[in-house]
Amino acid sequence: MPKITLRNAEKSYGGTAIKAVRDLNLEIGDGEFMCLLGPSGCGKTTTLRMISGLEHLSGGQISVGDKVVDCVASGSFISPEKRGMGLVFQSYALWPHMTIERNTDFGLRLRKVPKAERQARVDKVMKTLGIEKYRDRYPSQLSGGQQQRVALARMLAVNPDVLLLDEPLSNLDARLRLEMRAELKRIHEEFKTTIVFVTHDQWEAMTLATSIAVMSEGELQQVGTPNEIYEQPANRFVAEFVGSPPINIVEMGEGKAEPLSGLVKSYLSKAFPQIDAIGSVGLRPEALGFVQDAAEVPQGAMEGGAQVTGVLPTGGSWIIELRAHDTKLFLTTHKPPVVAEGDQGFFFVRPEAIHVFDSHGKRNVSADIQLRGDAETTAKTAKARLSA
Amino acid sequence: MFGRNYEELRNALRGEKIAQAFAFQRKWADAMMAPGSIERQHAGRFEVARYKLRLAFRDPTTLIGILAALLFAYLIIVPIASLLVDAGRVQFGDERRIGTEPGGWTLYYINRALFSPVASSLFWTPLFNTLSVAFGAIAISLTIGGPLAWLVSRTDMLGRRWFATALIVPFMLPAWTFALAWTTLFKNRSIGGQLGWFEAMGWSPPDWLAYGQVPITIILALNYIPFFILLFGNALRRFDSQLEDSARMLGASTPTVAFRIIGPMMLPALMSAIILAFAKCIGEFGVPYVLGLPVNYDLLATGLYRSISSRQTGVGAVLAMAIMMIGIIALLVDARVVRESRKFVTVGSKGAMARRSELGAWRLPATGFAIAVFIVSVVLPLLTLVLSTVMRIPANFAFSNFTLDYWIGTNLETVALRNGILLSTQMWAAAWNTLWIVGSASMCAGLLGLLVGYVVVRTPVWPLAAFLRHVTFFPYMVPGIAFAAAYLSLFAVQRGPIPALYGTAAILVLALIADQMPYASRAGISAMMQLGKDPEEAAQVAGAGWFRRMTTIVIPIQKGALVTGILLPFISGIKGLSLFVILAVPATDVLTTFSLRLIDYNYTQAANAVVLIIAAIAYFGTVLAQKLTKTNLADGLGS
Repeated sequence: MPKITLRNAEKSYGGTAIKAVRDLNLEIGDGEFMCLLGPSGCGKTTTLRMISGLEHLSGGQISVGDKVVDCVASGSFISPEKRGMGLVFQSYALWPHMTIERNTDFGLRLRKVPKAERQARVDKVMKTLGIEKYRDRYPSQLSGGQQQRVALARMLAVNPDVLLLDEPLSNLDARLRLEMRAELKRIHEEFKTTIVFVTHDQWEAMTLATSIAVMSEGELQQVGTPNEIYEQPANRFVAEFVGSPPINIVEMGEGKAEPLSGLVKSYLSKAFPQIDAIGSVGLRPEALGFVQDAAEVPQGAMEGGAQVTGVLPTGGSWIIELRAHDTKLFLTTHKPPVVAEGDQGFFFVRPEAIHVFDSHGKRNVSADIQLRGDAETTAKTAKARLSA
Repeated sequence: MFGRNYEELRNALRGEKIAQAFAFQRKWADAMMAPGSIERQHAGRFEVARYKLRLAFRDPTTLIGILAALLFAYLIIVPIASLLVDAGRVQFGDERRIGTEPGGWTLYYINRALFSPVASSLFWTPLFNTLSVAFGAIAISLTIGGPLAWLVSRTDMLGRRWFATALIVPFMLPAWTFALAWTTLFKNRSIGGQLGWFEAMGWSPPDWLAYGQVPITIILALNYIPFFILLFGNALRRFDSQLEDSARMLGASTPTVAFRIIGPMMLPALMSAIILAFAKCIGEFGVPYVLGLPVNYDLLATGLYRSISSRQTGVGAVLAMAIMMIGIIALLVDARVVRESRKFVTVGSKGAMARRSELGAWRLPATGFAIAVFIVSVVLPLLTLVLSTVMRIPANFAFSNFTLDYWIGTNLETVALRNGILLSTQMWAAAWNTLWIVGSASMCAGLLGLLVGYVVVRTPVWPLAAFLRHVTFFPYMVPGIAFAAAYLSLFAVQRGPIPALYGTAAILVLALIADQMPYASRAGISAMMQLGKDPEEAAQVAGAGWFRRMTTIVIPIQKGALVTGILLPFISGIKGLSLFVILAVPATDVLTTFSLRLIDYNYTQAANAVVLIIAAIAYFGTVLAQKLTKTNLADGLGS
């Protein structure tokens, strides 16, 4: 299975200066399940289409294995039909004039696979996806979920090395989506293919991917495992885009500083004096704690007085809305809360769970200083500094 | 410590300080450091151009597009250019009068048409007549069609849905059907041949009622009423009642709502209908030919026909240019109005409501009005024509006077046409000519239209797409008669490798293709747009090459669109008169020119019978097209 390499890949449409994709460098390893994640219009679908060859580059190059498939400088371009990849469209793009069976065996017929083998492969893939009873129907006679399976079957039948999926689950209802997610994960494990999956749904990315590439406004923000993306966001965009409820952001910059920033600043300057020029601080809701007795605050943690302003059950977990120094903070907990609206107490957050961003929001400064390199050491250092 | 932004970071990476890169940027760094790419590859202007060229010719789309562009340049641009040139060059036979060799440049024709002592009868009077007929017809059809559009689309008038179809029947019939019905009724003794019904009954209609401006205006008005019902009615139907309600809730009175809310929003649609009707009016040939010539009432179109048949090619070219100019100006105005109107499109808004007004006491009178219009514009003309073909003596309703001889009789006591029309070999020859000439032209136009649609939607070379879209739409601005004159001018003599085509069926087929391209290409473009790229791209990724994709995916899916793309031009081609009247010769006689000749020779019954046959084909063809495509005529308007 080849790896896919994008180097300085760029795409602009119709001679405009606005770039849909800007200077993209990405490597998708053999057998990887890579999710391209980002809000709509971030260039993720364009990236997928460039890999498939349906969109050509405006600059840079793409290679699959050691073969260059698209390169502006050398003028080489391999047509999509010769790349041997599989692509599932968001709209499914089933051929309305062909039966489900004809849709599925189209690729095999093109490859002139003998009839017996063709039949066997189509039967197997149809069975796997549970669509064998629809084989003589036309796409318009199927529901959205069934059509989606046909689109997958059509692609899997030819067993391509690379599977490209463009938001294939976005038109399904919640239950079907869950089933298909499991199906996709199973397919990835069974066939060991390289999969590139485009989505704007962070849960989909988190549950499926072996690695996630977060994009925004045509630029790659971060590449990493789902955990890396969540725990060590490279910048403020990634921190804010991933996570629900979203990360609490405390603005620290001049002119925008929120009331809570004074407390945060004095804590950080004592605990981590090497950090300067702080733009904002991010606190994950589940990293926050709330206690009514100051003695319960762990040592070395950042703390402050707070009042509970709301308790919102979300089924199995709770969101607690706090007001600390006139700044709103959200906290999530899986334990039934013992507090009620109006209770006074203290919020706290462990030092390793504090994300510090520079004034452009571009970098997670806390990563620079290995703040989170080793949680225990970090906590110890902070403790030592604070007690000094 | 690295700098604060990516640019510096990248520089640092390029400086091979990879070891210091952050853990979470590992992959990115790997990509940068892959063999052979430490230095960023920079593509110069030449490389980019070479790359784009290679992409453009990766599949045959662009090549087909270029071939199509050349074809249309030859079929559309060259004839019109040649016509323009004709107006400024000395024509054969005029060299003595002008005093220059044939082919030399001259202002003689323009002078003669616009400023000479004969200019008034050659140009200015026909221009004035054309404009007054056009404005008169539009004024009448607007006053009748506007209220009808409202009645049909927004009220509880009785039989609303039935009228919505019945009232647009005139639109499916050739306009001069009504002209023939009119002469059948009102013809007086000023010209020979069979008497009109009124004359036969003892009342002699005055000339002003029998021929010229009055009947031409009335008939064109009747023919354009459906325009308003379709276009204006469509806009009214889409009008969201909530807009009206909001005004009312704020305290607006009924007149305020009508003039401040509904009026301004409907104005663009109304303007558009007016302009389209106007553009059609300018090029109308059949009606003034039947009703104007007996009293020498010339419009620009009949003037052009006269100039060409009397071999005054140069003056004809000037007239054709004038018609073309008026058409182009009208459509530019329309384009502007449509663009303006986009500003307040409210279609598709959530919860749009089309509430119907209750007519109350006016319900019956309103229905009566619609019935009256239906009788005058459909029943009376068709009934007159049908009766006229089964009666020996006009307006004699005695049973013995009725006969089917004119349809199926043999050995009649006439000089020519001694058999009934259905047994006449000439009729069948003309019908056969119509079928294969119009049929093959429509088939070519339909296929070319789909091809143009494909290229326009798919080619990566956008100037090519833009050129194809515009050039195929251009004939829409040129009335048929001017277009025919342009073809005559180009193909009358041998030019380069192309032999003189005049007198052959080829010139008719070519001219018809060009004339029908606006509809065919628009249908093709919209069909391809609707299909979208996905199905074809899915096949491409699956490994299908261009040819395979065309034959197994694109064409099979577009079968329906192709059928419509052929059928609609076929119907409008069958009704068409202006192209044939200039370009057809007896060997390429079609039904329309055949019936025109019968009129000239005063075989009234036979002429009417032929026109009825044409009308029947056009009507049932339209109905069939609507059935096949499950659409309403309102969508494919303008053919």
